[in-house]
Amino acid sequence: MPGIDECLLEAMRLPGARGASVVDWTSGLALGTVGDSPGGDHETTAAEAAELARLAAEHRAFAPEDDAGWSGEACPVEDLIIANRDSYHLLRFVPTTFDSSVFLHLWLARAEGNLALARIRLGEMAGRLVLG
Amino acid sequence: MPPPLPVRRRTEIPSVGVSPMFRRLAAERATGVLMREGGMLHLLEGQVVYAESHATPGLDVLLVARGALDEEGWREAVAEAGAHRLVGRFLVDSGRIGQGALELCHLGALYDAAYFVLGPSSAPARFRYGDGHWLGPVRPVPVAAVERETLRRRELLHRIWPDPETDQAPLVRAARRAGPAVTSRQGAVLDRIDGVRTATDISRELGRTAFHTLVDVRRLAAAGVVAARPAAPAPRAENLVPTAQPAPFADPHVTLLKRLRDALEAL
Repeated sequence: MPGIDECLLEAMRLPGARGASVVDWTSGLALGTVGDSPGGDHETTAAEAAELARLAAEHRAFAPEDDAGWSGEACPVEDLIIANRDSYHLLRFVPTTFDSSVFLHLWLARAEGNLALARIRLGEMAGRLVLG
Repeated sequence: MPPPLPVRRRTEIPSVGVSPMFRRLAAERATGVLMREGGMLHLLEGQVVYAESHATPGLDVLLVARGALDEEGWREAVAEAGAHRLVGRFLVDSGRIGQGALELCHLGALYDAAYFVLGPSSAPARFRYGDGHWLGPVRPVPVAAVERETLRRRELLHRIWPDPETDQAPLVRAARRAGPAVTSRQGAVLDRIDGVRTATDISRELGRTAFHTLVDVRRLAAAGVVAARPAAPAPRAENLVPTAQPAPFADPHVTLLKRLRDALEAL
């Protein structure tokens, strides 16, 4: 059963992985980090990524059309992808059986990274992180 | 003469560290419990392994509220492994919860309680040396990280809305109706506002960390949707002349001016 560190180390084995973290989007706190982060400061990156994650997770516009039970019980969004000239950022929401606002943040080098693969793997990791 | 503008309390953000004693204990790698007005921080060899506060739901409440763990399972774990101070280990080894889930929930509860324990206080702190907490080390956190995060959280709340009034008081719905900008998590908080419950009460009911509720309540206060319940007026005798002084927030113009001023000051 993986803990936070094992999960992040597994994420770092993905091709092109530069850094990974687990972040709480309400407070902006990084609960765990490995590797590098843009600007070299995991805490700042976590706070900034949390702002973006919160908007996506909590606003009606990004929930599925048929999500009648949009009530804050579970995050309606699976992941967020950001692409820039040299890298990808992948934010994967972690579903938990207790109240939380947590996501995995993976920073990938664009040249070596495989976005499709990373998206699948990160989803699996998010599941294993909480279910064991 | 127009009524004077109500004066609100400002958030005090101390520029110095949160507790000098806390740092000293980290340096000497102390094991025991730090007791302050807001609650307790449990240290194991100079690192924080557990925090508890009357203002926040405990780890057990957070885990049981949504069914991550049943109450029976928690009680069994405490009975079986409490004496060995390895309840966390036992919960995972017996398959009751995953290591990742326990770490996430535990960290959420730890930073949540620490925020209130390390809040401004005039009462002196005490430390009792001991054997560590019964939960055991799930994911110990350095004292410096807890301190830094507590200060960051104070600033975060202050940036959202500089009036701390709604943090502790019973909450009421304010004049403005909730617009479409209210998020799902805020909606859950809003549904439980009844003029009696405080942010802490709502957190317990939702099985949600108290700081998360404070964030949503401050956002709702900034939007003018939620306010602290004004203090109850003194019971008035029949023959008493009605006072000229209006209730502090009765006049919608005064409320608007106050919100405008607060927003400008918060820039």
